[in-house]
Amino acid sequence: MACIERASPALNQILLKLYSAEKPVEIDHHLYEFGSAEYHILCQACEPRVAYLSISTPPLCPGNLTSNKLSSYTIEMIKRLCPGVVEIAEARREGYQLTLRLNLTKIPRGNDYVKVIKEISTVHSVILSSQLKEILWNFNSDDAIKGMHKPIKLAYNPREPFFVIRQPPRIITVFPIRFAEKSDVIISTAFFQELVDVGSSDRYAKAPPCSWSAIPPPELIGEAFEDLSTNGGFVSFDISAHHVDGKRLDKTVWNLLNFNAYVRFHVKTTKGFIQRRMRKRLENLVEVLHHTESEHDNEQITRHYGCSCTKRLSVKSSKYNILKQRWGNLGRKLKRIHFRVKIRGFGRFRQRWLRLPKFSSSRGYTKLD
Amino acid sequence: MASTLRPYLTCIRNTLDAAMCLQNFPCQEVERHNKPEIELKSSPELLLNPVLICRNESEKCLIETSINSLRISLKVKQADELENILTKKFLRFLSMRAEAFQVLRRKPVQGYDISFLITNYHCEEMQKHKLIDFIVQFMEDIDKEISELKMSVNTRGRLVATEFLKQFI
Repeated sequence: MACIERASPALNQILLKLYSAEKPVEIDHHLYEFGSAEYHILCQACEPRVAYLSISTPPLCPGNLTSNKLSSYTIEMIKRLCPGVVEIAEARREGYQLTLRLNLTKIPRGNDYVKVIKEISTVHSVILSSQLKEILWNFNSDDAIKGMHKPIKLAYNPREPFFVIRQPPRIITVFPIRFAEKSDVIISTAFFQELVDVGSSDRYAKAPPCSWSAIPPPELIGEAFEDLSTNGGFVSFDISAHHVDGKRLDKTVWNLLNFNAYVRFHVKTTKGFIQRRMRKRLENLVEVLHHTESEHDNEQITRHYGCSCTKRLSVKSSKYNILKQRWGNLGRKLKRIHFRVKIRGFGRFRQRWLRLPKFSSSRGYTKLD
Repeated sequence: MASTLRPYLTCIRNTLDAAMCLQNFPCQEVERHNKPEIELKSSPELLLNPVLICRNESEKCLIETSINSLRISLKVKQADELENILTKKFLRFLSMRAEAFQVLRRKPVQGYDISFLITNYHCEEMQKHKLIDFIVQFMEDIDKEISELKMSVNTRGRLVATEFLKQFI
């Protein structure tokens, strides 16, 4: 999916610039990205091939107060990112959760360096994915109340939280959908209906079953009112063991984290598509009208001119307006030219010469035979 | 449904043919002014009886005639919410660019989706039967375009949903 990539584009660009710089470059950048991620990149002239990358990201689960520090599993996953190049610094920068020491000399030469730098730029997605994996794995039996497991509220984007409910042998993820405009709600609802329809087909039997409802599902009973008040309904995915098996876990986790952003991107592009289509249709409809006019002009008509400087036009087409505008622009440019030699009467002549004559239908008439 | 379309359009065509007999008529209220009397409605003797042609409850056409102008208001069918927003967007888009159509009104009459205003000057500049053909063709094109837009939006949604679910397989 091109729109939501794991690698941070800004971080990728800065690291590429650092790597390919011929002279030592000093960099001290602060970056803020989608998902409230904050980066700090520091490269000093005294150590040109070493960069320090500090990262801070809010906890995925807002209610978990101890999650400000990164867990050992997350640290382990980060260490697996380009082991020779990336090291975790002992002292982290103040205000950040983690500081990485990047040894740019250890990045392989040739075409592979782009791939390596891109992998380093995915550090934020690695942190988030590992946090979600831990939440899904570290299921606490105390959370079970009367046989129903308490929903866990997760917030990748603070304004778009979603819920994860553990009901062995499956995990249900529920996305409350909210849009500012009514048209967005309707377009998204049409999309969710198609999503449910495609998901229930035989071809996509292996994909997680999804459903949409206008009212909150029963699994969310007892949650806060502000979390359950939506205008776009609720989309639920049933994740089974098959979807979190081996390599699929990473993909599943990333797709779930970005589902809201995916839907919003689709709604935005659909509105753009509708606009383009309307413009094209407008041109076709106007062309029909002008074609009607040109058929009228082609008939043999005897014209009587009321005034020599006026000519009757049956249609004030857009081409006429464009021509008039261009003439006006040319005229203004010519008027601004400063002539060194002053000729008497030339100013008035220039004014008359540069003015486009007006064509008025009220003065002339067309005699029809 | 298609069986009622032809008689509906034929009825509108015949009514327009009868109603489009416009002539120049200066304003009776203000000297040296020439205004479309159907918009002002200040002189009842200059107005003809309006004609309402209904295809069904959701589709209708109102034709109001005066001595020097004619107003045609259309209500387009909207089967569901998606068609509703597509119709509103599209007709508002056209109305905002009314100068390209000359005979289109910038704001539709209340209770209708789109309105045309034809004056005696338009009848002088354009051929009457061609103008009527344009109006009828416009109505057909609008219906067709809304249906195609709806189908395109649903097709896009299906493709996007397919791509999303493919990532889980």
